[in-house]
Amino acid sequence: MYLVRRLPSVAFLLVATSVVAFALPRLAPGDPAIAVAGPDASPETLELIREQMGLNKPLITQYLDWVGGVLTGDLGRSFTTGRPVAELIGTRVGSTIELALIAAVFMVGIGIGLGVWTATARRPAARVLLDGLNSALLSAPPFLTGLLLILLLGIAVPILPISGEVAFVDDPVIGIQYLLLPALALALPQAATIARLVTASMRTTEAEDFVDLAIAKGVSHGVVVRTHILRNSMGPALVTIGLRFGELLAGAIVIEAIFARHGLGSLAVASVQTRDYLVVQVLILAAVTVAVVMQILTDLGVALLDPRIRLGATS
Amino acid sequence: MTAIEPAPSTSATPLARAHGARLVAARYLRALRTPRGLTAAIILGVLVLTSVGAPLLFPGGYDQQGRGALAMPTLLAPFGTDEVGRNIFVRAIYGTRTDLSLVLVAVPIAAVAGTFLGLLGVVSRALGSIAQRLLDLVMGFPSLILGICVVLVIGPGWTSLVISMTIYSLPAFGRLARATLMAQEMRDYVSAARMLGVSRPRIMVRHILPHTIDTMIAQMVVAAVSAIFLESSLSIVGLGVQPPEPSLGVLLNSGARYMQDQPFYVLGPALLLFLLVLGFSLLADAITAKEKRA
Repeated sequence: MYLVRRLPSVAFLLVATSVVAFALPRLAPGDPAIAVAGPDASPETLELIREQMGLNKPLITQYLDWVGGVLTGDLGRSFTTGRPVAELIGTRVGSTIELALIAAVFMVGIGIGLGVWTATARRPAARVLLDGLNSALLSAPPFLTGLLLILLLGIAVPILPISGEVAFVDDPVIGIQYLLLPALALALPQAATIARLVTASMRTTEAEDFVDLAIAKGVSHGVVVRTHILRNSMGPALVTIGLRFGELLAGAIVIEAIFARHGLGSLAVASVQTRDYLVVQVLILAAVTVAVVMQILTDLGVALLDPRIRLGATS
Repeated sequence: MTAIEPAPSTSATPLARAHGARLVAARYLRALRTPRGLTAAIILGVLVLTSVGAPLLFPGGYDQQGRGALAMPTLLAPFGTDEVGRNIFVRAIYGTRTDLSLVLVAVPIAAVAGTFLGLLGVVSRALGSIAQRLLDLVMGFPSLILGICVVLVIGPGWTSLVISMTIYSLPAFGRLARATLMAQEMRDYVSAARMLGVSRPRIMVRHILPHTIDTMIAQMVVAAVSAIFLESSLSIVGLGVQPPEPSLGVLLNSGARYMQDQPFYVLGPALLLFLLVLGFSLLADAITAKEKRA
């Protein structure tokens, strides 16, 4: 029910994003064919590229062709490498999925853990310390945590590899070593945002009457924290996790550059530099789609946690 | 048609306005006198002054090469030198200058344009919902993806950074303005003004907009931080400011290659970036705290 009501706005967002991704190369000054082929390409090459890109057809047809291609998996050929775009992306996607998955686990785990710990810490010293740690993490974006982690754990105390990668599926033990630092660097700043929210939300819930009632009833401290406070505080945290996931993907671009990983992020950067439009368009669309889908999933999670939203008391 | 004409502005108005402005300024100065505000003011003050005065303090410019390459820190070069013997500290100060110039252009534009888009619903319902859809669309784009879109169209550099920062900050201002509008519209003083026959746009500008100023300033500071992050991220992957012109991101990018030999190449610019962000964050905290008290 809830999902159905959200569908129109999601559909709008995805269609609009595809229009933006489609329009980008056409917004650039000059002839896209020249931009692709370089300034001293022969007229025949230009004509061939126009033919390939379908630039001779009306805009609407071009758009529908492109969307149709994306939906059926026919992404065309990269102009710079001549290889099919789907293949280019296919060889890179594993690395980024690994990174994003591990980072997402870290983000959720550290975020909620740190948040709960800060909110339930009783000694003032611990509270201040955890609050400070959180604030410090908040003012450090992924590339900064990445560089500092490299300096600390890669160079000062060399215990983890700092650049390159080994696919996790090929060799889990070595693969995870290469993944730890980048995933941690990517996750920490986002985790800090989540932790701050969890803390704030738990402190608000703590002051509610039903918590006092539970304590008066003689429910043990641990149970009060887990079932009464935590569950009622998870809503905002979940929403943020959904919103942060997009930033996690964006951060992956920088992290891949710093840790010399060959994922979609580095592919995107290289393709922007060589103006390989077909590749970038698909990557933009994919990134936004994944971010939006994650938002929907977490919204569903919130609805599951809170029957008031599920049953549609508020729109 | 209305029996009661809204009182035309008399000579008293400018005086009252000046008085009001002084009161507002005094309130913000009080926010700076809290420990957080004071720390923020000192950090930002020092950074802004040195980077604005950089051409006077370091007349050699950011490209002056010295003798030793990748040298460790000395008194004159607190962060050491880079791969061609340039003073990293001087480059970092000039880099801060680049970052501040971007923020100074992008954030105010975003604040004005975002507020405008957020309040467009006042003029016409249709326009307002178009604006909301537009802001929702921008919200769907993660920061760096947005930057990539802009760079794809106009190529990397200062201009595309300003544009991406502006677009990226728009939705926050739009939502803020709209939320304030919703909260204030039902208040008695707005109904009173409406009954007196004040036009809707005028109610907007004279009565409701001033209420958004506080949150708007806090939001501008927050937007400055995310703008700096966006600059550094884009420059680190090579799609932002183009070397040899320095920015904090450019320095981190080239420094990352020499981390084994000269760790201060990264640590120095990272420290300045951290201080800049810390200053802005503390400032935002101080302003929001002031609101809560008031």
